Amino acid sequence: MSDTTPLLRLDGIRKNFGAIEALKGISFDIGRGEVVALLGDNGAGKSTLVKIISGGQEPSAGRMIYEGREVSFSSPAEAKAAGIETVYQDLSLCTNVDVVANFFMGREIVKRYFGIPVLQEKEMEAATAKAISDAGTRIPSLRTNVEHLSGGQRQAIELNRFVHWGGKLVLLDEPFAALGVEQTRRGLEMIKKIAAQGIGVVIITHIMAQAFQVADRIVVIRQGIVAGDVRADDTTADKVVRMITGEALRPSPATPAEAR
Amino acid sequence: MISTRHRAVIEFVLDHLVWFILIAVVALFSFTVPSYFQIGIFANIVEQSTFVATLAIGLSLLIIAGYMDLSVESVMALAAMVIGILFAKSGVGLGLTLTPAWLIVPVSLAIALAVGAVVGASNAFFVVRLKMNAFIVTLAAYIWGRGLVVALSGGRSAQELPAELRFLAIERFLSVPLIAWVSIAATLAFAFILNKTPFGRHLLLVGGNATAAYRAGIRVDRLTATTFVLAGAIAGLAGWLLAIRTSGATANLGVGMLFQTFAAVVIGGVSLKGGVGSLTGVYAGVLLLASIQTAINLMGMPAHFTQLIQGGMVLVAVLLDTVKIAIRKKLA
Repeated sequence: MSDTTPLLRLDGIRKNFGAIEALKGISFDIGRGEVVALLGDNGAGKSTLVKIISGGQEPSAGRMIYEGREVSFSSPAEAKAAGIETVYQDLSLCTNVDVVANFFMGREIVKRYFGIPVLQEKEMEAATAKAISDAGTRIPSLRTNVEHLSGGQRQAIELNRFVHWGGKLVLLDEPFAALGVEQTRRGLEMIKKIAAQGIGVVIITHIMAQAFQVADRIVVIRQGIVAGDVRADDTTADKVVRMITGEALRPSPATPAEAR
Repeated sequence: MISTRHRAVIEFVLDHLVWFILIAVVALFSFTVPSYFQIGIFANIVEQSTFVATLAIGLSLLIIAGYMDLSVESVMALAAMVIGILFAKSGVGLGLTLTPAWLIVPVSLAIALAVGAVVGASNAFFVVRLKMNAFIVTLAAYIWGRGLVVALSGGRSAQELPAELRFLAIERFLSVPLIAWVSIAATLAFAFILNKTPFGRHLLLVGGNATAAYRAGIRVDRLTATTFVLAGAIAGLAGWLLAIRTSGATANLGVGMLFQTFAAVVIGGVSLKGGVGSLTGVYAGVLLLASIQTAINLMGMPAHFTQLIQGGMVLVAVLLDTVKIAIRKKLA
């Protein structure tokens, strides 16, 4: 699966919030069909990095090269148009509307009558029902407002949503935080399936076992810099933990230069 | 576990609760208040509702999107006064005429809508571009809008709009004057937009969770700006209707309608938190207020009873909302 040009290359990404340097020059690659687990302690800058890639925030410095072209996304809409899907840590659902409306948020199916776009509810409901059942999630009624659903059901909606819409690169910020054991297992399988389709995946997680289960590569961020970038096969959980806590912070031989 | 049909019935009743209350209240008055049960009285309730119902459309859309518009009443008065000054024959009216004479209908309507849209656009600029608080921005517009009405008219009134406009207030269809039909048509049109088009869907989404909507690629700022302009234009429409009804405009035209409109919007089931509401429900809320007012008039009770009851009803409406949420939670 080693493509010559990576799907996304981050080159010296920096982000300042006032005097605070959240990211101090992040560089790594994400290949097509590759699953990269992004690890790091709380406050290491993982979520900030995801927001930058997904267009929610703009970097203070650095370049993003996406499919061989330098890009800068000034809004999530632009990133989405380029094929980058994101599942955020704080869920991005509108709880005041039903499951179908959430599933098709911003991409409603419409049919034009005399130039007026009209929502096609039946079509959207059928597509939602299919996607939800394909993923093995049970939601009693797709016409229930999301505020009445459990945390696990909500997260399942978000996960199924991005699977359905596909794209070229998927960013997952702690996607399984509210899921049960069985749903998490399905979720991890889903990620492998997506990657097998050639879609790049970046997954942020705190759970080491999940990272090793699904990731091809593990990138550790510590205090705003890349503290480690290793193939999952070439490392152990202990080593990764040491990278996260900074005990083994040394110029690793397995830096991106070699990984390529 | 309740059956699907049972659930559907309960959902239907909850969704249309204000209509059921309206029917119950009208039935009650019909039995208890002498001479209430008449076509003429009901037609009068619908006619009375015209202006508040129209204002309520724009206000509801903005509240559903999670914003606030206190300026609608003054915008309505401003549009009415501009129409009065341009086309009324006496008072401060300039008495402009057009040939052919019927052209006054589309021209005056376009002017009223434009006046409203301009104020709406100014609100949108401050709220969306300068990120100012909508409550304060529209409160300012409420004040300066009324000030502008007084300044333009010099505190005097414009009277006698030409017959080509007046016929809209005089001619009736099914005992209800045409201007009331205009407001009903506008309500239905925007109810359709809210329920069946992406624009309406996006309003609900932004009102529910603006961050999620933004992340989903919805252009929240543009949507908000459009809605402010729309609310202004709809208030302009209300002003046009009101000018036609009163055959001109006075400097204090429509004072107090803002609060009636707010009451109707809340009673109609629009949540002030945003993201929840239907325009047909709001129309029922307007009718409910007008029905009560009519009953009080017929009973010969002093007018301030209306205010007491309307104030109480707003509280009951908010209370009902909490109960509805609790019932829905049990259903899910």
